[in-house]
Amino acid sequence: MKTLVCLKQILDPEIPPRDFTINRDSRQAVQGSANLVTNIFCENALESALQLRERSEGEIAALAFGPASAEDSLRKALALKADEACLVEDDSTAYRNSATTALVLAAAIKKLGEFDIIMVGREAGDWGAGQTGGLLAERLGLPCVTFVDHIEASGDGVTLRRQTELGWEKVEVKLPLVVTISNHEENVPRIPKTRDIMMSARKPVTNWKLSDIDLTDEDLKTTGDALDVIDLFIPEKKTDCEFIEGDSLDDKIDEFAKRLAGIVQSA
Amino acid sequence: MTLLAALNAADATREVMWNISHSWVMYVLLVPTMLIAGYGVYKQVQKWRSGQPAARFDRPAERIMRVINHVLLQQATLRDRFAGVFHFMLFWGMITLTIATTVVLIQHDFGIEIMKGRFYLYFQSLFVDVLGVLAMLGVAVLAVRRWVLRPKKLVYTDESTWLLVLLFVIMGTGYLLEGWRIAVTNDPWGIWSPAGIIVSKASLAVAGVGTLKTLHLFTWWFHLVIVFGLIAWAPYTKLLHVLTAPLNIYTADLDHGGGTLKQIDFESAQSFGINSLEQFTWKDLLDLDACTECGRCTSVCPANTVGKQLSPRDIILDMQGLLDRSDLASLTGKADGQQPDEYDPAFPIIGATDNLSSDALFECTTCAACVEICPVSIEQLPKIVDMRRFQVMEQAEFPQQMQDAISSLEERGHPFKGTQLSRVDWAAGMDVPLIEDVEAPEVLLWVGCGGALVDRNQKSTRALANLLKKANVNFAILGREETCTGDPARRIGNEFLFETLATQNIETLKTHNIKNVLTSCPHCFNTFRNEYPKLGGNFEVMHHTTYLARLIGEGHLKLDAQATEKIAFHDPCYLGRHNGITDAPRKLLKEVSQQPLVEMEKHGRQSFCCGGGGGMSFVDEPADQRVNQERAKQALATDADTVAVGCPFCTTMMEDGINAVKGDREMAVKDVAEVMWEALEGK
Ligand code: SF4
Ligand code: SF4
Repeated sequence: MKTLVCLKQILDPEIPPRDFTINRDSRQAVQGSANLVTNIFCENALESALQLRERSEGEIAALAFGPASAEDSLRKALALKADEACLVEDDSTAYRNSATTALVLAAAIKKLGEFDIIMVGREAGDWGAGQTGGLLAERLGLPCVTFVDHIEASGDGVTLRRQTELGWEKVEVKLPLVVTISNHEENVPRIPKTRDIMMSARKPVTNWKLSDIDLTDEDLKTTGDALDVIDLFIPEKKTDCEFIEGDSLDDKIDEFAKRLAGIVQSA
Repeated sequence: MTLLAALNAADATREVMWNISHSWVMYVLLVPTMLIAGYGVYKQVQKWRSGQPAARFDRPAERIMRVINHVLLQQATLRDRFAGVFHFMLFWGMITLTIATTVVLIQHDFGIEIMKGRFYLYFQSLFVDVLGVLAMLGVAVLAVRRWVLRPKKLVYTDESTWLLVLLFVIMGTGYLLEGWRIAVTNDPWGIWSPAGIIVSKASLAVAGVGTLKTLHLFTWWFHLVIVFGLIAWAPYTKLLHVLTAPLNIYTADLDHGGGTLKQIDFESAQSFGINSLEQFTWKDLLDLDACTECGRCTSVCPANTVGKQLSPRDIILDMQGLLDRSDLASLTGKADGQQPDEYDPAFPIIGATDNLSSDALFECTTCAACVEICPVSIEQLPKIVDMRRFQVMEQAEFPQQMQDAISSLEERGHPFKGTQLSRVDWAAGMDVPLIEDVEAPEVLLWVGCGGALVDRNQKSTRALANLLKKANVNFAILGREETCTGDPARRIGNEFLFETLATQNIETLKTHNIKNVLTSCPHCFNTFRNEYPKLGGNFEVMHHTTYLARLIGEGHLKLDAQATEKIAFHDPCYLGRHNGITDAPRKLLKEVSQQPLVEMEKHGRQSFCCGGGGGMSFVDEPADQRVNQERAKQALATDADTVAVGCPFCTTMMEDGINAVKGDREMAVKDVAEVMWEALEGK
């Protein structure tokens, strides 16, 4: 089975809240002292792909769209023994919405070849839009199953386990398809062996510019315009604390109930 | 006595082999005895020699001193009072008896007449007789200990039983022979052999001279056969320690309390970490054969104490068993030809037995209590880390929470995944100078991840910074430029990550031209002091307790005794045991407190781990097997109001432990700096 895993590099979502700042003019988060890490759901996707390969052979390709630094995410995938890696390098620091990302990934995938399963994380830890998987499937003309946390090869297709609000759904699908991967204790990302980390530094990573996959800035502008971030800010958290006054406990309770009723009514 | 007075002491002697004919049979028997024993020793020596190189013959003067202290004076052995004293008696008794036998040999076989006169009376008769009795007493008491008292730490094997029996029989028959000789020859000097004369008198009371002479003859041969048998068998038993222990003590790791970890050459190493006997150094293999099975290491191991699988004694003994069964010498050639990425250990050891299971290896807190207590200088801890390395770097299979710490170290330069704090939050509103704002700071305050990124420790770090300011110390911090020293990565077993972090830190410090480093974390302290120099980072590093003691000594800080609480000090393993610093914190506490310092039963170099070293502070231990709660109980057994600590990891481990088990009792946990600052502030 040939699997392709899309990896997104993001600002470390685990930085202390006080260190997180945004630039309101460019409407983007500021890197500051934060490191760049691979989005956790993308890592779950890679882990799912590795497990699938262990169970039923095949190859794994890793693909990323992002700045040159995103190569680190791909190297880590190589250290975990992905078979090949490809970076579509983005020279611009502009915000890329899910539609743009899907457009670029789809073009790259077409050039990379045929794949049975294309895996993406269910959402990214920066913007959390959760759109890329669906839009990518649309562009590739493939079915898409979301929130998958387990994949099993069966016959000429796969059996997927998908998380729903009430539990799990079991889905049988024919290949090829796109899945978005959610986290589960089964796909906690493994860590690479040290020797593999060292070897991964010597493995090749295909580096494409947008022109290599026949895309122009114009194409990206079209999808980019589909969604505009108008404003970006860190919501101010405010907590007010008021002690209800009253002569007796009963008075206080009455007053408290009245206030509560007021809040419920106004809501 | 009248008879004695009539004799001239200068003529005193006895005839050797007075009752023995065909003594050539003895020499004939000696040949196979020596061949069997010699082969046993040779075989083991070959196995040790197949190990990797290790430089353990430098600094001979220090090594000789070590042998004097730990072999001749039995210092380490005597730490276990009971067994130590009787082993001491056995040890010196056996040495004396061996010398006495050598004297006989010189006299009889080389024809040099030395067994005469005062030397014969005082040494060869009286002294040897008394020491022999002590040795016999030693064997008897050790036998009672083994069969009646049955301490848990011993290993109960038939071999041990037989060895004790044989030693006792050899010495017992020795005294019978002596007594009967005195009786039959009517030895005028017999009184100089007190035990001999008693046997002689007692025997004469029940048997005639003729009978005793015959008995003597048979017993003599019996004694000889048993002695030769034991000599031949010894190298195949734990008695081999008679040879290996002194050798092992001589070649001990002289630094860092025996806890020195090896460096790895990542370019050429066949395997990162060890999973095969032949990858250990010859010293590691010698260690295995030096074990006396005394069990002290396991009895002081914190993980074992709380009921975990980890047992340093059994790790050593199980590997010794594997070494016995392996044919190492012939295998070393094979491993060389293999490609690194398909390295396949010749004798896999991890998982070979329960004691060598990966789970057990990752229970170790790297406290080094085992290394410290071992009477024969065995280095259990470095071997445990060697094997962890294999699990971490070659297999990537180790406890999930340790993996999280490692990933966090890789991605964020600190092991505290999910911390809400940044490196400088503790200094908010305090005006602590950053390195870029200070011209040439006297010292760099290395805060450490534990001191900066854990809520509880912010208070301790602030206290220390306040004390420094109060003393007008020109200091600075690195702030966000600081990353983990690499200690947790190294102890968990990721040497590669350790080197990466270490090299980066050394670079940073060199860029800022730092010479002096001050830290409140013993783990950082240990890394700076013992490990960075090997990577080219030579800094003068001080633990805050030493530094504060110095500030007081030089009059920069004035402390009137103001703390009224009763304080006990918990020695952090990486301060006390690993680095021998136990006085400075006590000096400070005595200075600051009106009350006398309280000591826990286990303190100083024999302190008991808080449970947080070796990456264990990131792991949730099973609820009924928590090392910190065990240590908390030990603290609560004193009448102290406060446990003072000198380590951010100890602070949180001890506080959690005490809160979990204290019941109605109140007991605070404070860093030494906090105790001092509170006293100064009059709280
Ligand atoms: S270092 Fe400490 S925890 Fe580890 S085996 Fe030795 S005594 Fe036990
Ligand atoms: S390793 Fe040392 S302390 Fe442990 S049982 Fe052997 S001799 Fe005793």
